[in-house]
Order: sequence, then structure tokens, then C-alpha cells
Amino acid sequence: MLRIENLSVSYGAVQALKDVSLEVPHGLVTAVIGANGAGKSTLMRTLAGLEKPQSGQVTFNGEVISGRKPEDIVRMGVALVPEGRSTIPELTIEDNLKLGGMWRSHAQRSASLARVYTLFPILNERHSMRADTLSGGERQQLAIGRALMTGPQVLLLDEPSLGLAPMIVTQILELVARMAWDSGLAVLLVEQNANVALRIARSGVVLNLGAIAGSGTSAELLASEELRHIYLGTG
Amino acid sequence: MVTFLDSILGGIASGSVIALMALALVLVWRSTRVVNFAQVGQAMFTTFLALAVYRGTGSWLISLIAAILAGAILGLIVHYLVMRPVRRQDGSGAIIATFGVLIALQASASMIWGVDPQTYPPIVDIIGYEAFGRTWPFAPYDVLVLGVTVLLVVILSVVFTKTSLGLRMRASAFNPTVARLSGVRVSQMLALGWALAGSIGAIAGVLIAPTFSVTPYSLDILLILAFTAAVIGGLDSLVGAVAFGIGTGLVLSLVSGYSDSGNAPIVALVLLALNLVLKPQGVFGHHHSRSV
Repeated sequence: MLRIENLSVSYGAVQALKDVSLEVPHGLVTAVIGANGAGKSTLMRTLAGLEKPQSGQVTFNGEVISGRKPEDIVRMGVALVPEGRSTIPELTIEDNLKLGGMWRSHAQRSASLARVYTLFPILNERHSMRADTLSGGERQQLAIGRALMTGPQVLLLDEPSLGLAPMIVTQILELVARMAWDSGLAVLLVEQNANVALRIARSGVVLNLGAIAGSGTSAELLASEELRHIYLGTG
Repeated sequence: MVTFLDSILGGIASGSVIALMALALVLVWRSTRVVNFAQVGQAMFTTFLALAVYRGTGSWLISLIAAILAGAILGLIVHYLVMRPVRRQDGSGAIIATFGVLIALQASASMIWGVDPQTYPPIVDIIGYEAFGRTWPFAPYDVLVLGVTVLLVVILSVVFTKTSLGLRMRASAFNPTVARLSGVRVSQMLALGWALAGSIGAIAGVLIAPTFSVTPYSLDILLILAFTAAVIGGLDSLVGAVAFGIGTGLVLSLVSGYSDSGNAPIVALVLLALNLVLKPQGVFGHHHSRSV
């Protein structure tokens, strides 16, 4: 289980995260929702090691991961799909996938590749083409596929819906939720689109100005009039 | 017609060395987004070291191997002691720092080996082949230079496109963040890029040494030519560096053949300026903008 305890992060004088605590259980999707600038991406980047925390800590299966390098954190089983289609357009689709988890054994990598190709058949069909020939939704699949190639136990998804058609978003997220359930993967899903995220997730937290402003099951969060009005903007 | 053939033949060999140095510049640019103006300084320094090894051992091959090793080590020293600390402070300062390294290397070489020109003997004949009753400006030595260049380009292409190490290096160059998130130790790949560039520059230095005389400043002109070739080739492209390296050699040789050899560097700079005006991303470059 990924456990975040009293995590604070600041960029110079700007406090981006204040005292955030959260647990991400295996087999389920946990959502982090909140408006633009609420600190959602900062949380994800810190979990992946791209930002250093000011205080607090993150542990994964009892081991401290906060403050480590991104390449070490991913090797421990925590993989981030960053915001904005994190693929390398100049490389082929297969090379993008092969990049993930190069430290793993050949057998493990072949198994992961076969699994990714089963999950996302379009990537198999186009495996020798450059990544920039893919559509937005396909590139998001590639980005998730690359993260899966690292053999993660925790998958961090930062705004996968950005710039995608709602139907494609639902398709991808349902696949992720099913995968979490089937393989015991812990998924932390950051979304600005609360309705989409809470339909997929079991539970969630609301971030506002870097602090946790509410938490509960998805049903509770969707039912909370106050949260809807103030933080989700869907009321 | 004879002038034309002479110029073409002469251009291929000098172009090969320009291509090697351009290749070194491209390797560093790809991995660190820095144009390493110290590259020729490093090559000059390792050439002096190789010359000392040659005088000690009498073996050209051992001196070449010494240059390759020294080039890699010097590349790593520059990367770890100068570039990494400077880049942490300020990205554009790193380019200025490479000039500092160049000056430091040239000053050190002047103190250690002096400024008098020294000769580096060629391993094979440097006098041109004779055919049809005349001596052509293409010698067994030029065949060697061309052969080594082609061999290096082939090896590098295979490593970059067919091996997992190459994939890690390319990914680190294109998008270091995604590479790190995939588990690639990008800092090692950067160091490897500097070491590799240092070795290739060192090979270029040893190969060109018999045709130049070796002084702390004798490779400066090579920097201008290699930089021109690398920029026209697109800075990111190994193929572009080699193609325009040899191309630059041919153009300069033709200019020298038909006018005065003093005009050659001017033509190189005119080509560079034209390229920056007409096709700033370089002929083989990618479409995003860049600034040097």
C-alpha cells in the first residue's frame, strides 16, 4: 500500500502542498480531484520523485520512497503517467514501450509487452510506426502502456482525460479500473473532471489550494452538495 | 577538369575528419543540449598525449588507443567537474563554460608541450596515388581516414538503433523526464555521451594530425568547420553531421581549388549564415525551434 503522510511541498515561497495525508489501497482506483492549481500534479510529481518534499514522507510497502530519484522509485514499483501524453514522438511505438522497465529480465519484459498489446491492440497493430502518428487517445494508451512495462504495483495517472473525447476517456479509465481489480494494482487517478474520475474510483479526496478539503467514497463525494459547488464546479 | 577531380578527392578526406568532429559535437548536443566548443581543445590535448605515447612506444596503434581512452576520460572530467555544476546554476552558462574549458586546455597544452609545431607521423603513406602519369591528391592515408569514419558511423548507427543501450541514450536525449520515469539512469547516459564524444574527437585529432602540424591551436579551424557541418545537418542528426561534414570538406576543397585557400573559412561561414536564414532547424533536424 502507498501511504502519504503529512506531505508538504513548496516552490520557493509558494506552498504547493500542505500537510497532505492519503492511503492508496491495492486493487482499487483512488481519485484526487480539485480545480486547476489545487496541487494535484505537484502531488503526483512528488510521489514519482520529480519534486522533493519539504516535510512529511511517502512510504510504499513500508519503505520510504520520498526524496528518492524517479528512476529508483519506478524500479520499486511506483510508475507515473505524467500529464500530457508522455510519449517520445521520435521513437517507434514499440521502442516507447521497450523503454519502460529496461532493468527487468527479458522474460518479465516479454510478458509485460504481450499484456500491453492485449490491453491495447492498436499499439500492436502499429508497433513499428513512430509515436507521433498516433491519435491523442492512442498516445494516452501508449503512455499507460509504457508505465505498465515497468511492472508497477502502483500506477499514478495524471489527468489522462486532458484533451480527449469523453467516450475515449471512459474506455481507457474503465480498462484501468478493471486492470486494477484483476491484478491488485493500486491506482491513484488525478482528474479535473470529477464526474469522470468518481465514476471509476472507489473513493477519493478533494484538493483545494494544496490541502485536503474533503474525502470519502465516490458516492459520498458526488452527493456532497457543498463540495460540488465549491470545488468541483459541477453544481 | 583535373582541378575539379583534385578538389573532389581532396575534399573527401578532409571532409571525413570534419564529419568525425561534427559527430562528436552532435553526440554532446543530443545528450546535453550544449554545443561543446571545447571539443577541439579536448581533441588537441589527447592528440598531444597520443604523440607522447607514440614517441615512447613507437606504435601508432597504441597511440590511437591511448587517444581514445584519454578522450573518454577527458570527456568525463569536463562533464563531471565543469558541466554538471555549471548547468545546475544556469543552462546557458554551460555553453560559455565550454569556451573556458577550451582556453584552459590550450593554455595547459602550451605550458606542457610548447607552441612550436610538432609532427605526428602517419601510419600509412601520405603521398597520393600515382596513375595516368600524375600524382593524385588521394593517398593511402586518405583511404584510412575515410574507412575509419565510415566504420565509426556504422558502429554508432547500429548501437543507437539496434541496442537497448542506444534506445536508452536516444530516449534520454529526446525526453529526459520520460526516460527517468521509465527507469533509465539518465545521468549515466549523459556521461556516456560525453565520453563517447571525447573518444570520437580524439580519433579525429589523431587522424588529422599528420596533415596538420600539432600545436595547441592547430585544430581551431576544425571547430568552425565541424560546427558549420553539425548545424547545417540539424545538430540532432548523426547522418546529417556526417553528410554535411563531408559536404563541407568538398565545398572548401572546391573553393580552395578554384580560388584562394584563404577564402575557404569565409565560405563556410556564409553557408552557415545562409542555412540559419533559410532552414534554421537544419536539413536533417527536427521541427522544433532551437537556440544556441
